[in-house]
Amino acid sequence: MNGTYDRGAAETYEDQGGLDPREATRLLAQTQRQAQRGLDFRSPRLTLFAAAVSLVAFGAVWLSVRGQHPYKGPTAVALVVLYAVVAMRIGSVVYAHRHARAGVSGRSVSQQRAEGAGLAAALVAVYVLMGALAHAGASDGVVYGVYVVTATLIVLGAFWAGRSAVREDWPGLGTSIAMVLVAAGSAFAGPRGVWLSDGVGLCVVLLGQSAAQAWLLRAPRSDA
Amino acid sequence: MTIDTLDPLIHVPARLQIVATLAALPDGDALSFTRLQEMIGLTPGNLITHLRKLEDADYLTSEKTGNGPASRTSVALTHRGRAALDTYTETLRGLLNGL
Repeated sequence: MNGTYDRGAAETYEDQGGLDPREATRLLAQTQRQAQRGLDFRSPRLTLFAAAVSLVAFGAVWLSVRGQHPYKGPTAVALVVLYAVVAMRIGSVVYAHRHARAGVSGRSVSQQRAEGAGLAAALVAVYVLMGALAHAGASDGVVYGVYVVTATLIVLGAFWAGRSAVREDWPGLGTSIAMVLVAAGSAFAGPRGVWLSDGVGLCVVLLGQSAAQAWLLRAPRSDA
Repeated sequence: MTIDTLDPLIHVPARLQIVATLAALPDGDALSFTRLQEMIGLTPGNLITHLRKLEDADYLTSEKTGNGPASRTSVALTHRGRAALDTYTETLRGLLNGL
């Protein structure tokens, strides 16, 4: 059975009796909360994992570059760790998103595809610009240190800020603005320090978001 | 204000759950019958009966895609259904304030 309507269906038992207004209020608030949770892929646990990812990924690169004089860029091992944990993060988000959005169709699905295309184009532009900077003779410290990590995080943060603003997701907007500020401020730490500063800064921001999400999920709300 | 002022189409546990769940989707989105059933926990027959009543009142629309076992029915709240839930919520709030 996959939802073909039976036009001859009888009146249900529930039609016989009403609900007390207090019961109805409770049921409405509970259903709204459950629906929002069920359809939203974000969770405190997923954000906690993102915090760990940022610390491990940026920490691994920082360990590989902290003793470099002059700066040459992350080692191959550090890059493998970075890409492996970032891939795990992407995989966890894709899995959670597919699970939460199963059975959903319509306008928001095509909007998300368009948003994804816009983000991919912006990230490609970051790396094209990186190539242009290297071609123009910028130092390794600028190209493979300060620029690449700062520009990537600003693009990701700005994308998420715009997305959150459109959806009136104020905690998400706050987190993404904090992410952009951490990225911009960390640029002053130089090509070696930027990795540590971004790793710790992002980890703190994401831990805060995870705590806020957990608090919002537990906080009783009455929408009626 | 009395309890009779509440929309009788929504003021039934199963239909209140259906409308509130579909209202959690952004405007223009639909939910598959199977996912809606999983989220609300009703039997298919019961869910169909309630969906039919809501569709007859133009509170939701349904669309069937595909054929045979691969067919899929999606349901979405209409503007009228969304407005009815808003009115229901307001009326409920008014009733509770009067208690």
